[in-house]
Amino acid sequence: MQLTGKHIINAAPAVVWAMLMDTDTLARIVPGISRLEKTGDHTFNSILEIKLGPVNSSFTGNLQLENVIVQKGFTLRGQQNSKIGNASAALKIGLSLVNAVQTEVAFNGDIRLSGLLATMGQRIMSGVANTLSKQFFANLEKEVEKANV
Amino acid sequence: MSTNDWIGKSVRRVEDKRFITGMGRYTDDIILPQQTYASFVRSPYAHAKIIGVDIRAAKSMQGVVAIYTGADVASVNGVPCGWQVNFKNGDIMKEPKHPLLVADKVRHVGDAVAIVIAESQAEAVDAAQAVNVEYEELPCVVNAAEAVKPGAPLVHADVPANTCYDWSLGNPISEVDEAIHNAAHVSTLEFVNQRLIPNAIEPRSYNSSYEAATDKYTLYTSTQNPHLIRLLMCAFVLGIPEHKVRVVGPDVGGAFGSKIFHYTEEALLTWCTKKIKRPVKWTSTRTEAFQLDAHGRDHITKADMGFDKDGKIMALRVKTFANLGAYLSSFATCVPTYLHGTLLQGLYTTPKINVDITAVFTNTTVVDAYRGAGRPEATYLLERLVDLAAHEMNMDPAELRFKNFIPPFDGINQPGYQTQVALQYDSGNYEGVLKKGLEMLGYENFRNEQKEAAGNGKLLGVGFSTYIEACGIAPSAVVGSLGARAGLYEVGQVRVQPTGKVSVYTGSHAHGQGHETTFAQVVADKLGISMDDVEIVHGDSEAVAFGMGTYGSRSIAVGGSAIVKSIEKIIEKGKKIAAHKLEANADDIEFASGKFTVKGTDKSVGFGDVALTAYVPHHYPAGLEPGLDFSSFYDPANFTYPFGCHIAVVEIDKETGNVILKRFIAVDDVGNVINPMIVDGQIHGGVVQGVGQALFEGAEYDANGQLTNGSYMDYCMPRADDVPMIETAGQVTPCPHNPLGVKGAGEAGTIGSTPAVVNAVIDALWSGGHKVKDIRMPVTSERVWRAMQN
Repeated sequence: MQLTGKHIINAAPAVVWAMLMDTDTLARIVPGISRLEKTGDHTFNSILEIKLGPVNSSFTGNLQLENVIVQKGFTLRGQQNSKIGNASAALKIGLSLVNAVQTEVAFNGDIRLSGLLATMGQRIMSGVANTLSKQFFANLEKEVEKANV
Repeated sequence: MSTNDWIGKSVRRVEDKRFITGMGRYTDDIILPQQTYASFVRSPYAHAKIIGVDIRAAKSMQGVVAIYTGADVASVNGVPCGWQVNFKNGDIMKEPKHPLLVADKVRHVGDAVAIVIAESQAEAVDAAQAVNVEYEELPCVVNAAEAVKPGAPLVHADVPANTCYDWSLGNPISEVDEAIHNAAHVSTLEFVNQRLIPNAIEPRSYNSSYEAATDKYTLYTSTQNPHLIRLLMCAFVLGIPEHKVRVVGPDVGGAFGSKIFHYTEEALLTWCTKKIKRPVKWTSTRTEAFQLDAHGRDHITKADMGFDKDGKIMALRVKTFANLGAYLSSFATCVPTYLHGTLLQGLYTTPKINVDITAVFTNTTVVDAYRGAGRPEATYLLERLVDLAAHEMNMDPAELRFKNFIPPFDGINQPGYQTQVALQYDSGNYEGVLKKGLEMLGYENFRNEQKEAAGNGKLLGVGFSTYIEACGIAPSAVVGSLGARAGLYEVGQVRVQPTGKVSVYTGSHAHGQGHETTFAQVVADKLGISMDDVEIVHGDSEAVAFGMGTYGSRSIAVGGSAIVKSIEKIIEKGKKIAAHKLEANADDIEFASGKFTVKGTDKSVGFGDVALTAYVPHHYPAGLEPGLDFSSFYDPANFTYPFGCHIAVVEIDKETGNVILKRFIAVDDVGNVINPMIVDGQIHGGVVQGVGQALFEGAEYDANGQLTNGSYMDYCMPRADDVPMIETAGQVTPCPHNPLGVKGAGEAGTIGSTPAVVNAVIDALWSGGHKVKDIRMPVTSERVWRAMQN
């Protein structure tokens, strides 16, 4: 399934970039993350708790940042496993300057589901993805506000 | 009419009392002492290498009794395929192992990697989730036409081009090509007969136990054919002597073909029970049922039909890719060939026919017989083409059919009809059913109504389907010569008890058909006794001598005939006993209405008296054995060929494309009818299932081999308010070669209805000026709306 979205954040690219590169902040921004553990320069182990309509599941897996270009963007690649099936995703995240105090954050990529997750979840996935991306941007805005205070 | 003339009466189904009061006894209802429960670890991927299976955490969990993986059963055979089809060049079909648990790589979503057995169902499920399987995902293929292309991922490393076999039947292709080339008009259809999921109400369920003291197994299974399961499991998979295994198919809640097959779980549970010396039960979850019960249909076809300038069919050429799924299910191989290719004569005199089938493995659930099995695909192909040709040639679709029908023949005074595709039809009157259907429709007025509707924002359409099916499966010698690895006779034992009550043991198996009623009617009628005095016993390999089970609309034609053969033996012996009692010659005794009478006199003795004498033989014919108990194996002389005419009327909303099925007319000739109400019920159910394929159902796999609509939230089943009251009528052309003159009625509805509905949609679209050749099933509002935008 294809995922795309973009949103303008009231902060300079350098500020947004710093947040995305900070493990603790990233853990607060990405919806559903209950644990994020840095295992290398750009690699993490993660536990995600996500509710997909009737199913509520815990995903364990890893996340990697690839093609990292400072203050411009990166590709977030992840493989997540759960008891109800697995998900793998590759999301391109790009930052672009709107003006000195605003940054556009955009993402696009695709997510692949397997097993029960694919069988039961397909119908509601786009709804879930929209909700999660809204949450992601809301969380990011919250972090920016916190930093500005 | 005597009170004991039961044949032809709409007797209420005797089995329904227990079904509708919750007293049915299904496999999952059976709980044995020391019962354990199984749950499976299944692949989330369509195609992946298994890197490792870690059962350590699961094994230490509460309640876990045992866990087995693919490595544990590596030396056990896989489940077999019951029908061998050869390549065109004579090579034997590819038959890769279908293991009880996979060890090397998974080949479809749901493929079983491990079985977890625990004290309770919940503990088994929890522990199965704790089994950690590491996979390396591989590219997969889901579409049969894609799977044969160079470079497609291989489902089995040793099956080139994923091809199980290629096969052809009929006239030489060069002759057919030439006839099509010379035709005045050729109609061509490229279409998909989509994959369907069977959806029986009762999910599959197995409970297997082992008694060490006697070294005997008992398997309770939701099956359509307990003896066949015993044969396949004992002889081909586990190597257990048959006499050490009892297989019981108790009440079964719907099957539609999906419970014919010997599934891996049946054999695996039986293997496990001996290991742990406790009974093991598994009942499929609904999700597993969607994912794993053998699916139906899934053909990709291109077909050309050539006509002369007057509309006579000159030739038919068919090329089909049949998707078999990841492994061979028990009868997967015969469905696209001997149950499909052989039916492509239809009801028409087509002189040249060639059918070419490529059967293909893909990373999907296995595909096998589903109500109609091959015959719905054949009927869909023919009837869509004939209706399309009528549109294209601007001829009336009914007229075009009348022009091409095989003339009536009764199979007695006129010989059977030899088709171009191997079969010989037994008896038929094809124009009769279409004439009756047109009368019921009021065809003359219909075209006027169609014009009126167009003025009211609606498109009205009528669709015809005149079908034939090969049922009463099957003459053993014929199917044996075609590759069947079993005989397809049936067994019927009639045991008259000393008091004249009758127990009947049949190898047919009921899972909704009402055999306990229909068969009892036959027996009561033939013996001139009350139906209350007849009990029908089925489904237990220890009670019934043998049996081939129920599928292919065979029960009354083959199983019923076996019972009649035994009744004839009972009457024959009864005459000898009666003759002794009446001091007459056995040749002078006639039997009618439950009485043995000396011809031309009023001297008679009742059936009950004769029965008692047989068991208390104090005054008895010299040299005659006591008892009144006969068994017969009936092997039919030919298939039976029911046929009929189905007509659908649909209304399309021009704004939304919504299709409403306004009328459905079914005129079915199933030979003699034992219970008209039950036949009507079969037609109703079958029609709705066929309407389901036309308008609602279809398994959807994504490119990664994931089944994306495996739940009732996403897989659309037909509901009561989707169908009008079905208008049924009958015609009787008796079967000339079985003692009841019956042909079978189980699949007729599904076979005839689907093309009628789609043809009606196409007719409605043409009436609105949208000259489309095909619309893909299921015909959703969106597809109709898109067709109208062109």
